[in-house]
Amino acid sequence: MARGLDRRTFLIASAAGAASLTLSLNTLSCSEQPAPPPPADEPAGIPAPPEYGDWRDVYRERWRWDKVVRSSHWVNCWYQAHCAWNVYVKDGMVWREEQVADYPQTNEHVPDFNPRGCQKGACFSERMYDPCRVQHPLKRAGERGSGKWKRISWDQALDEIAESMVETIVEEGSDRVVWEPGPGITLGAQTAGMFRLGTLLDSTSLDMNTEIGDGHRGVAETFGKIVFERSGDDYFHSDLILIWGGNPIYTSIPNAHFLTEARYKGAQIVCIAPDYSASAMHGDLWVPVNPGADAALGLSICQVLLEEDLADRAFVAEQTDLPVLVREDTGRFLRTSDLEQDGSDEELYVHDPRRGVTPLPQRSLALDGLQPSLEGRFEATLADGGRVEVRPVFERLRERLADYTPEQATALCGTPPSVIRDLARRIGRAKAVSMTTTSNFGKYYHGNLIERTQALVFALSGNYGKKGSGFVGFPFLNNDGLEPFMISMFDLRLRALISTMGLVEETRLKMAGYTEEMIVCEQSRQGFEQGRSHSGALFWYVHGGMLEASEPLQDWDPYLKRPVREVLDEALDKGWQQVWPRRGDDPRVMISVVSNPLRRIRCYPLLLKHLWPKLRTIVTIDWRMTSTALQSDYVLPAAGWYERTEHKWVTPLMPFIHAGEKATSYQEAKSDWEIFSRLAEAVDRRAAQRGAETFTDRAGRERPLKGLYKTFSSDGEFGHTDDDKVCKALIDHSTNLEGVEWEDLKKRGWARHTSTGKSISTIGTATDFEPGETITPLTRHVLDKDPYPTLSRRMQFYLDQDLYLEMGETLPLHKDPPTAGGRYPLMLTGGHTRWSIHSAWRDDRLMLQQQRGEPVMWISVPDAEARGVSDGDRVRVFNDLDSFIVMVKVAPAVRTGQLILYHAWENFQFAKGKGFQNLIPSPLNPVELAGGQFHLRPMTICMQPSHTDRDTRVEVERI
Amino acid sequence: MARSERQLAMVMDLNKCIGCQTCTIACKRLWTRDEGMEYMWWNTVNTQPGRGTPRDWEEMGGGFRDGDARPGKLPTRRDFGDAWDFNYDEVFHGGKGDTVHLKVQGEEPDWGPNWDEDQGAGEYPNAYYFYLPRICNHCTHPACLEACPRKAIVKREDDGIVLVDEDRCRGYRFCMEACPYKKIYFNHAEKVAQKCIFCFPRIEQGVANACARQCPGRVRFVGYRDDESGPIHKLVDRWKVALPLHPEYGTEPNVFYVPPLAPPRFDENGDIDESQPRIPNEYLVSLFGPKVLDVLEALKAEMAKTRSGGRSEILDTLIAYKWKDMFGGFDRDPATIEWTRS
Repeated sequence: MARGLDRRTFLIASAAGAASLTLSLNTLSCSEQPAPPPPADEPAGIPAPPEYGDWRDVYRERWRWDKVVRSSHWVNCWYQAHCAWNVYVKDGMVWREEQVADYPQTNEHVPDFNPRGCQKGACFSERMYDPCRVQHPLKRAGERGSGKWKRISWDQALDEIAESMVETIVEEGSDRVVWEPGPGITLGAQTAGMFRLGTLLDSTSLDMNTEIGDGHRGVAETFGKIVFERSGDDYFHSDLILIWGGNPIYTSIPNAHFLTEARYKGAQIVCIAPDYSASAMHGDLWVPVNPGADAALGLSICQVLLEEDLADRAFVAEQTDLPVLVREDTGRFLRTSDLEQDGSDEELYVHDPRRGVTPLPQRSLALDGLQPSLEGRFEATLADGGRVEVRPVFERLRERLADYTPEQATALCGTPPSVIRDLARRIGRAKAVSMTTTSNFGKYYHGNLIERTQALVFALSGNYGKKGSGFVGFPFLNNDGLEPFMISMFDLRLRALISTMGLVEETRLKMAGYTEEMIVCEQSRQGFEQGRSHSGALFWYVHGGMLEASEPLQDWDPYLKRPVREVLDEALDKGWQQVWPRRGDDPRVMISVVSNPLRRIRCYPLLLKHLWPKLRTIVTIDWRMTSTALQSDYVLPAAGWYERTEHKWVTPLMPFIHAGEKATSYQEAKSDWEIFSRLAEAVDRRAAQRGAETFTDRAGRERPLKGLYKTFSSDGEFGHTDDDKVCKALIDHSTNLEGVEWEDLKKRGWARHTSTGKSISTIGTATDFEPGETITPLTRHVLDKDPYPTLSRRMQFYLDQDLYLEMGETLPLHKDPPTAGGRYPLMLTGGHTRWSIHSAWRDDRLMLQQQRGEPVMWISVPDAEARGVSDGDRVRVFNDLDSFIVMVKVAPAVRTGQLILYHAWENFQFAKGKGFQNLIPSPLNPVELAGGQFHLRPMTICMQPSHTDRDTRVEVERI
Repeated sequence: MARSERQLAMVMDLNKCIGCQTCTIACKRLWTRDEGMEYMWWNTVNTQPGRGTPRDWEEMGGGFRDGDARPGKLPTRRDFGDAWDFNYDEVFHGGKGDTVHLKVQGEEPDWGPNWDEDQGAGEYPNAYYFYLPRICNHCTHPACLEACPRKAIVKREDDGIVLVDEDRCRGYRFCMEACPYKKIYFNHAEKVAQKCIFCFPRIEQGVANACARQCPGRVRFVGYRDDESGPIHKLVDRWKVALPLHPEYGTEPNVFYVPPLAPPRFDENGDIDESQPRIPNEYLVSLFGPKVLDVLEALKAEMAKTRSGGRSEILDTLIAYKWKDMFGGFDRDPATIEWTRS
């Protein structure tokens, strides 16, 4: 017993109630029961706490609350999404939050998903009351960016915004009203409101996925889609897990335990990264590599796999295009259109020793006795009688790989040959190799080449479709009720028309041998071609003025053959890509919805220079002040995450939809649905006052403005504050939440998805969700032999579209990163931070206290020494574009030549408001403008040009 | 010296710790938000090697050597790092445009609770670091308790939790000097010493500590040391794979660590070099004592078993297939508690 307080005093000091609780606890600790049984002499339930006795009761009293509400953080934390939280409410305020942590175990051989959560989520209860909040509608009272505001009423704000929208729509074109959705997108009530209004008004609604660098272009080029991922517990079936390109210990906090625990279960973890990252620390092998040189490393691994006979030839013969024949003369696939007049240009060929040159089966991957040659030189007779030599892609690949022996590759990637061989052998000999998801390489100019190479490593080693195996693309999983809910607002006649048109097209595609997944992909591609979907990345390049920064690209990219503007003109003229509004038509109204483009967009000063003057009205809808809000005309206060009823998309990594209920209100903040609903009503009202009953949409059709709100609200069914009803309708409309009722879901907080569903953002995982089984992607292709949604209907490593031929990128290869920003010695790279989800916590007081209170940039020890820079110094970082000032952290974990500046610092956290992205030129890679060929066409969230930042070159000097 | 009848303890698995600070924030939001507590972080996670929090705490003395109290230094508020305030209003609503930016108000900080995050030691490519979460060790032989002239520090009989009696405390701060782990803070508003209370109000309700229950890395095991069916006894006493931090401080901590592994280092040619570990043995020994080398060998042997398809009871326990098994019976869901307002 502690000195100074004998047992008698202690018992007196402890109130009787507390003592009895301690007693029941001792019983509890030895029992299997989850909750302690009440002592026999006490009524059921926890007894009332004691009257205030001493200081201990201060603490006991602190840990009390009035009610508990299920919620979560309706933010795009992507791989980490999502976590069920209990929000503890005390005296009408959210007091704190704690994870619900009642997820099930998929089966007894894998760990359960509990408790999830992270440090950001654990302090939103503080964030929601801090000075970042927007409390009332604000209108600019000085120049844009002056920080001078006038508080106005909701009615005034919505009326003035609606007036500007109506004027633009009627007088200049509906496509000039631009919706800019950001990481607040839920695909729940929030998004339903935004999309309904945007659709009815034929607005331009930006698809921002490739713009943020999450486009996974190399995945799309190879698989015809980017969405496929496993469940976190599927790692328990892996015996080798590659962390290649990402840093999941920072960015997948709630999922990270599956990795550390799979390692205990027997998996090896290999981390491939330039820096000794927090993820590298948790590995069995760390493979250092030059930043942006992972293609050289990957191709070298492939070279060793072939050289040492570790490749799975049967797998590549069936699942990939490696046996497909390519013409020696043109470098293009041999097509039926080469062999027959009016033949298909989408039908390709292989060689079979018995059948000769023969069509590649399109409707199934099953070879049915066909034995495609991987090697050999063959002849084909063309339609005009001429003869042409053809060879399988595999032969070309083997020639390519001859340039990437470990001894040659080390000069490019910096990884020692012995380590490359060691890694290749581990991959070749493992039973099931998996990879953690990453969106890193999409942020490199040549990232597509890296991703194509990664996919190839997994294909050559036959690592797809088996439990615990597989390269992965972009994780995404949501209820698929949004599209039907959108359509449900139209009247019966229009609904019937939409459904008939859809059915006709679907039948046509089915007849052509398209799988359900291929039909969904095709419909998405048609959406871009028909002006229903709009590339965010191209919007910023063309209308945002970002192309200006790509002007010197020929000095930076030695492989470039002509100015990128010329390629852009060609791509737009040929319809390979589209930009909305059309070139020359200036955007007039921009509405950023829980988004922050001036923080997010690389070389954002160009937006202020080129785009801002064109915009008549700039609106930011957000719960907090952001870099963009500060430059807006109106800032509308959105409800925080615990202040609205909502549900949100997740990923297969944690395949549970999440939902929650409004816990409290805050000042004048309104839910996103309510804001859109009231805005729809205001537009309706202003149009009527103008006498504008219709407008002409971008396709030249007359559309009604009169009755807009009636349609938006489904004839009054969904009122301004009916978030709950909207959520219910979305769940009711979905196909992949069988048996899930909204009323149960919102109380429980989560429900497991029962299938991928049919939406473009989910179907690509291409597997069944079996109860009691972990989720392994792509089994429909690998096991069921469904074709991939690519030209060859296989994983496609050879691309013969014009631009790929021009740029020499028909097959994966290593290209040196461009010296983007000028010939400076240091590469300014980045990554997702541990400390924020996008910018939502970047200026949070608690998070800053756990850092250094301001932005920091990592620098290697030798680079710091060479510049006379010490840890904690502030330095000037500069290149041909601009400069900024930042504090440095010096660490031996950082590779010489590399700087790391983790993302999402707000511009207003830097001196003179000069945010670090001001000198990132994000050069437009011409190959990303490709189009016109089956799967090389723009599609939702991929196959549009991307914005990149990792290749930025800078110099650093002490100040 | 008398010991408590039972002892609650915690095991932290450093191979699962990802340095995310969810524990730190969970604790902050629950216990240290009042005036005078803003700068306190009863739970901290630091990158090792590093100067830690408070800065250079390992050089501040305290504890016991050969049974005798060792003099200790009083850490200052600046050593801990202050609770910074920022000029939000000026930036957002001040009408000053780009002439102002968000920054710490007052004196420019040069330290904070996690200032040297991810810096570590070594030389590229053989850099090394790992995360070390720390709370009050609720020592069996608490130096703070012995140092308090007011006898204001108590060790609870039933569970061994060490608490500062804030009614008796007069703020002399001898405890802060005496604690060799420097895990006691001074509340400048209330003029009392405050520290981790092992979440005793939660424990009393059968709910695991916030830092443990909210840990997404599933790092922390909780339970009675003598509960032979619980994880603490198994990891600490039966399998002996968890060790106290700085056992030489002589306070007999009740927080134990599963020591960190690391990937192999490289030799001067860049080839994998297994002849010596990436994290130098002497460094780990300096933290956890000489037994740490045996523990690492034991862990590696267990992992060799699972890599060849076998099972390991030790690793199965560390995996914690069922999350609730980590809490030695303190697995009640706090949301199920219905308070009756008094």
